[in-house]
Amino acid sequence: MLYQYFLRRFLLTIPTFLGATIVVFFIVQLAPGGPLEQRIMQLQQAAATEGGGGDVFGTTEIPPEAIEELKRFYGFDKPIYLRYLIWLGVYPRETDYQYLRPGKPKPVGEGVRLMVVKENGQYKLVNADDPSKPVEGWYIGKERERFGETVVEIYRKEFSGILTGNFGKSFVYQEPVLNLIKERIRISLQFGLIALILSYVICTYLGIQKALEHGTPFDLVTSILVFIGYSIPGWALGAVMLILFGGGSFWDVFPLGGFQSPDYESLSFFEKIWDRAYHAILPTLSYTISSFATLTVLMKNSLLENLSQDYIRTAFAKGLSEKRVIWLHALRNSVIPIAANIGFIIGVFVTGSYFIELVFNIDGFGKLSFEAILTRDYPIVFSFAVIAVLIKLFGAIFSDMVLAMVDPRIRFQ
Amino acid sequence: MNRTEQQQKAQPPKSLTVMQRRWRKFKRLKRGYYSFLILLGAYILSFFLPLLVNNRAIAVRYNGEWYFPAVKQMLVENFLIGKLFGMNYFYSGKFFGQEDNPGECNYRRLKEEWEAEGSDNIVIMPPYPYGPIEDIGVEGNEPFMAPFETKNGSAPRLFGTDDRGRDVFARMAYGFFVSISFALILAFFEYAIGVPLGGMLGYFGGKFDIYMQRLIEIWSSLPTLFLIIIVASIVRPNFILLIILLSLVRWVGITTLMRAEFYREKAKDYVAAAVSIGVPTHKIMLKHILPNSLVPIITYFPFSIVAGIAALVGLDFLGFGLPPPTPSWGQMMSVGLQHLTKWWLVIVPLSAMFLTLLLVVFIGEAIREAFDPKVFSRLR
Repeated sequence: MLYQYFLRRFLLTIPTFLGATIVVFFIVQLAPGGPLEQRIMQLQQAAATEGGGGDVFGTTEIPPEAIEELKRFYGFDKPIYLRYLIWLGVYPRETDYQYLRPGKPKPVGEGVRLMVVKENGQYKLVNADDPSKPVEGWYIGKERERFGETVVEIYRKEFSGILTGNFGKSFVYQEPVLNLIKERIRISLQFGLIALILSYVICTYLGIQKALEHGTPFDLVTSILVFIGYSIPGWALGAVMLILFGGGSFWDVFPLGGFQSPDYESLSFFEKIWDRAYHAILPTLSYTISSFATLTVLMKNSLLENLSQDYIRTAFAKGLSEKRVIWLHALRNSVIPIAANIGFIIGVFVTGSYFIELVFNIDGFGKLSFEAILTRDYPIVFSFAVIAVLIKLFGAIFSDMVLAMVDPRIRFQ
Repeated sequence: MNRTEQQQKAQPPKSLTVMQRRWRKFKRLKRGYYSFLILLGAYILSFFLPLLVNNRAIAVRYNGEWYFPAVKQMLVENFLIGKLFGMNYFYSGKFFGQEDNPGECNYRRLKEEWEAEGSDNIVIMPPYPYGPIEDIGVEGNEPFMAPFETKNGSAPRLFGTDDRGRDVFARMAYGFFVSISFALILAFFEYAIGVPLGGMLGYFGGKFDIYMQRLIEIWSSLPTLFLIIIVASIVRPNFILLIILLSLVRWVGITTLMRAEFYREKAKDYVAAAVSIGVPTHKIMLKHILPNSLVPIITYFPFSIVAGIAALVGLDFLGFGLPPPTPSWGQMMSVGLQHLTKWWLVIVPLSAMFLTLLLVVFIGEAIREAFDPKVFSRLR
């Protein structure tokens, strides 16, 4: 029953995932001023300055072949729905372009030499060394003019997209996006995980204490903290802490940001740990505050509500100690909503992190993706969106799993 | 049960509607009620900001004629009436006899000059004579003046100036007006989409509901703020575009709420009764179900305002919000983070945002309590 439910949930993520990626893909791809336009503009400017800058207003024409090639490099030579399918990896991507002059053989690797011949007005690809052998894996593309010559392009086909794990190559860093992400997400995850654990430990404990001491001065004082948490976004609190403790105006206690000191490599092992921790304190606090208020209040209210239930009255009536009633009976039922929140909060920590990473200048995943928007580095932008969508989708399922785990009464249908 | 409720039970003749009772309970929750009054008062006051905090004079008497640049500005920018009549609040310096100033008149200098001359021309300045947009281009504005600093006997800068010599207090005050207006208008559009849509989904159900549910699921799995940043980085956003973008994102929340509410209410007996006596569907939805679904509509509102302000501040902070030089808290913070030694640049807008959101949260808490029939009773 439960397995069936989760199986269905997992299957349902597929259309949702496709829908979400379609929305993201079309918004980003249809937007004007994309990487192609930017690159063309850069080239025009470069050409204008190189040309001696004689005519400021005359637009330096870029040869149409170059534009064609740029278009292909950025993947803009195909209609948008094909681009989406290629990007997904369900439509073959054309790779390894080679230009062949008709009638001239050319080695294309693996000891194979290919040649293009014209037959009945149509180009045909043959093995130059052994025309009887069929040519496998190569296809003929367009005929085009290159440097005053007529050439025919040939290419290979390959299914390669996000579904096959190919997230593309960053336009800016010229490196596979996955490598970049691997590097950066380690940093983001460090903060996210520590903050996640911290906020759960702190909020659960605080919530319990607040519920038990409902209406006491302790409750009122901690309520101030909760209200601060509600009314200030984590990154904004981070900005205040930077001003207060970053050494600019008040106390010079913590570094101004970054992930580690510049001389990190020369430090001893324990110094390294301390250096990391020292840099991590303020950002981690900012992360923690973003879910602090919600979690604490959820825990408090849930425990309060349970404490006013009949089964608690019964437990007291049969003479159990207060400790036992609260920690064994009431608490088990009260952690259900806060446990079920975990999937949602994971999403907040991973995808909502660019603000905090920007404030503290941490080279994490969030900052990488934000900068990718500015530089129109589409592969990174898409990868961030894909990962964010996946985390949200699976976070929701994960939440339900946790819920099913902590609450045996739950029956999903 | 407290005393007033007991009294009401004892003397039944004057019965109150549910809403009236909730309003009374809300008024009794002092923290929320006073927060509501303060915020309401501050927002109403902020409509008159051009008369209170401005570099333009409220009134100028020049050669026997009266001019009212600040009043006109208020009518144009804050009340939008002036726009309809094509009002113009720009007076050049030459117009008032500042021969060396072809740009906008410097009313502070004008006042000093006329007072020094002892002429019968009068300039009445607002109590705080600095505007939110005037920068170092205007005489007397210097970058990074500290709080309470004065230059050459001019009025003190309450919260100093920013990197371009703009007055931080003025920008903070106008930022309040912009933020609250933005959040209110955004909430209006959110509700305008979400309430009817959610109502229809919940009431009619069927195929439309199933498809919309899928769409909502897709929508809520999107990294929405990230997408807005992408769009905003391409199209220079303005007030209206930002409202459109954010409403496109934020309609989901209230739609889901309303759908659940209508779905629940639809199954109740009074709806069946209304259907059976032939009340038309739109009347059932508007007159019967909607008044019974007000609880989520109202309790959600303050949190929608908080989210709206936070989203605007965040986008402004990243530089993808309202176009410069619109006074906005997020933009002030991003300038402040580039100049960490000038603490007031961050602390002032942040405190303003914090206090505003705190008031809204207090109101939200009180509303929720006023609408909550449940009373926590602890046994020990």
